Amino acid sequence: MTLVAGLRAAAYGVPFQPVGGVHGSDLAALNGWRKIQDPYGSGQEVYVIPAIRPDVAVIHANEIDEHGNARVLGSPFWDHPLTRAAKRVLVTAERLVSSEALAAQPELTLVPGFLVEAAAVVPRGAWPGSMHPLYEVDYPAVEAYLKDEHGALEAHLAAAPEQERGS
Amino acid sequence: MSQDWTPFSHIVVNLARQIRPGEITFSGVNSTLAMLACLLAKRAYDFHFTYLNVAGGVEPLPKKIPHSSSDPALIAGSPAIFGNEDFYDLCARGGLDLVFLGCAQVDGQGRTNVSVIGEWKTPKVRLPGGGGAAVMMPTAKRVVTWRTEHSTRTLVEKLDFVTAAGNLQTVVTPIAVFQKRDGRLALESWNPQVTLDQVNRRTGFRFDAGGAQPTAQITASERAALESLDPRGEFAAGVRA
Repeated sequence: MTLVAGLRAAAYGVPFQPVGGVHGSDLAALNGWRKIQDPYGSGQEVYVIPAIRPDVAVIHANEIDEHGNARVLGSPFWDHPLTRAAKRVLVTAERLVSSEALAAQPELTLVPGFLVEAAAVVPRGAWPGSMHPLYEVDYPAVEAYLKDEHGALEAHLAAAPEQERGS
Repeated sequence: MSQDWTPFSHIVVNLARQIRPGEITFSGVNSTLAMLACLLAKRAYDFHFTYLNVAGGVEPLPKKIPHSSSDPALIAGSPAIFGNEDFYDLCARGGLDLVFLGCAQVDGQGRTNVSVIGEWKTPKVRLPGGGGAAVMMPTAKRVVTWRTEHSTRTLVEKLDFVTAAGNLQTVVTPIAVFQKRDGRLALESWNPQVTLDQVNRRTGFRFDAGGAQPTAQITASERAALESLDPRGEFAAGVRA
């Protein structure tokens, strides 16, 4: 959540973001987080997290049009603050659709195209993770990748969906 | 499944027993046992509570029970998506009654370490970190944690690192349930398959055991709910005493 606070600061265009909690955690000293008194006099002390402005955000979307408008279905996780905080936004998507299809339900577009620098259509691009509602987590692939044995990484990369397509 | 507690059933059922009617309850990442506890409470207890999870689910009705507690299967049947930003904000403004947060170590004051074993700069084990624990533990009304390993290296007098501190109320293990009393964890009950002396020897922090009782037996409805959630014993196999 402190990460989101830092992203929000960048998205809001301010140098830091107040955040609830953190009191009593060694993470504050470790990261050099400061706390400030409520300037409006409530007496509360609040931690403030410095802005985090990623150079590049990369997200995976369900659908994208030729202008980079990207629709994400299911839970958005960090997609919203990430794409607003980053200097550049790249999108991969399951499939290309028409702009008319997105315009039919514009509230489902998570990132408008003017924020997107480049995009690629990569079916099953979230593998071995999931993409709601198209496919679920590939648990056997995750477990195989986690094995501490020679060649596990190479085998994982070779099994990636873009390899099947030879692209 | 017999009447006796297993390490698995002792953790999941006693986590579920911390949920109270009407509460807004949350389970996070890497929290399969807490996810099972919330789903068990929905099936076994005759009261309403609101179950939110890290996948963004609100009162989900998952068709199958996922291995991961952050699997999007946990939004199936959900009438809304209440995602990461929303549930953290809800917690920070005091709207989460009960939060399940995992830990690697817990101390006698109910603080947790999910960051590192050893020194930060020269770690013996680098842990995944607290997620939102540092924000949620001081702001949730009550926090419950659990450990599958009950030992002097997991239940410690002194943490290697304090990731989160605040409103931790309950610690559940295969052999014990601790509740915070006057700022310290005190033994509430122990699994009758072990002795009180064994609980003492396997706990690294000193604790008050006044009033402690053997853990009340698993009920028929709790057992039925647990069997329905783990019919092939796959989740149970992942928990060893």
